[in-house]
Amino acid sequence: MAGIENALPLTTAPTNVRMAVNLGGLAMKNPVTTASGTFAAGREYGDFVDVASLGAITTKGVSLNGWEGNASPRIAETPSGMLNSIGLQNPGVAHLKEVDLPWLHARAATTIVNVSGHSFDEYVRVIEALEDAPVDAYEVNISCPNVDAGGMTIGTCATSVEAVVSRCRAATKRPLIVKLTPNVTDVTEIARAAASAGADALSLINTLMGMAIDAERRRPKLARGVGGLSGPAVKPVALRMVWECHKAVDVPLLGMGGIANATDAVEFMLAGATAVAVGTANFVNPCATVEIIDGMAQYCERHGVKDVNELIGALEW
Amino acid sequence: MALVNERARILENECVGPNLYLMELSAPQIAASAAPGQFVHMKVPGKEAHILRRPFGIYSRDIAAGTLEVLYQVVGFGTDHMSRIEPERADHVSGAELIGPVGRPWQPPEDARRVLVVCGGAGAAPLYMLCEQLVASGVRTDVVLGAQTKAALVFRERFEELLARGAACGCGAPRCATDDGSFGRAGFCTPLVEEALAEAAEAGEPYDYVAVCGPEPLMRIVARMAADAGVFCEVSLEKCMACGVGACLSCVVDTVDGKKRACVDGPVFDAAKVVW
Repeated sequence: MAGIENALPLTTAPTNVRMAVNLGGLAMKNPVTTASGTFAAGREYGDFVDVASLGAITTKGVSLNGWEGNASPRIAETPSGMLNSIGLQNPGVAHLKEVDLPWLHARAATTIVNVSGHSFDEYVRVIEALEDAPVDAYEVNISCPNVDAGGMTIGTCATSVEAVVSRCRAATKRPLIVKLTPNVTDVTEIARAAASAGADALSLINTLMGMAIDAERRRPKLARGVGGLSGPAVKPVALRMVWECHKAVDVPLLGMGGIANATDAVEFMLAGATAVAVGTANFVNPCATVEIIDGMAQYCERHGVKDVNELIGALEW
Repeated sequence: MALVNERARILENECVGPNLYLMELSAPQIAASAAPGQFVHMKVPGKEAHILRRPFGIYSRDIAAGTLEVLYQVVGFGTDHMSRIEPERADHVSGAELIGPVGRPWQPPEDARRVLVVCGGAGAAPLYMLCEQLVASGVRTDVVLGAQTKAALVFRERFEELLARGAACGCGAPRCATDDGSFGRAGFCTPLVEEALAEAAEAGEPYDYVAVCGPEPLMRIVARMAADAGVFCEVSLEKCMACGVGACLSCVVDTVDGKKRACVDGPVFDAAKVVW
């Protein structure tokens, strides 16, 4: 795209604001990463975003062997959001290691690999398979609402959260981020369980379980009936949960849920997030991540904030 | 080919048939680089609560003018909203945004001498540029057009003019069918496809390639007819889509090689590989 006049920005504009953050041992050059599953491993967005310009790339959930995912239709648009029921389709960890991780490494991207499994053992085996690969952190996905085993079935129960996180903890010294589901009565109970089992950071929220119905045909709009709601519609729920967890646990938080612009991202940091992930907004605007980084720096300059870390939990009451 | 996200001015937005609209947009980069069968992923202006983009096959383009046309049918909220957009004045800052050109284009065999193009309703949109390319390179091209009514055969005159330009290389007038018999053969257009395939075979001038786009049953039946006649056939598939660049895996299609993404592995697929 270089040289095309109308091309949207590939890199972020320089400011004097210090943008680097540390997410539980993961050094990020700025607080913005991608929400798993919305950005593949970065290559598909290569014409729009230089992966090295982001705080990190969070890759699509990977399991030990390939998963086919769910039947179609897999998405439905809903007011200010969308439902998805992809079902963690992925070609397996060997493919990620052979194809995607070298590509990201060659571009000097900071890489968070989202790890999925059908069983406690599978999570551990995926991490073990990745220990010799260029990975900067793991995000343990115990919150996907679109699979029958693993995913959210683990993440809604404190004892199974402790069990899987402690096993993953034993398998790696790399930063371990645990991604939480909002589909629980008390997210702080799950957050405490994950932190006490050794999580270095928590990411939240995964999608909210939802449903869409086609009244004319009397059928669900998704083949699986239910799916995960994302987009601006979930932002207030996500902000509330980040704020609750910030008060409840000491580990840093990766906040996400409906972030569409820099103001949204700043709100998550004020609520207590150390870093933020951009998900559904990538579909709306393929340059959303880099524009958000720019906008956050501009916010900081406008407010006399020299270091973006000053925003973390800086909500005034 | 690099994708761009191009801000596009809406120049025209006309009702051209029952629930059918033609939108002309100024998007010079995409117009210059689009290949037949590719699409644009459009952020429609003024639709804040409906966040997703919509994919539209590129109907035609004018490289010199930097414009492209999208032929669309109103099928839901998004397209209904689109149909109400008033074209902006030239001095007005544009509202639409297009990611493009996206997808795998039509890939007729390089040595194709005779081609059959089958258009069902608004499925004609991504096929017109293919016909232009074929006629321009002197390939004998036959076209079957199907629609519900004469009024819905909005693309007929354009195809007639185009094929008339190809008369020297053997292109005939399009064969038409309407469901209600108001123009051409009454009923679906599939019997016309069967006749065209049979006539070409009998004349010893068989087709090398069939391209079809339209309702899924039409594509399935034409794919089967082409397979029976031993002719390579491609179809253009449409699925609900979120990212439009190959990342989200929303739009997957079942194929003999596993699930493939309609946006970047398609939208044009080898019909023999699609699991219908």
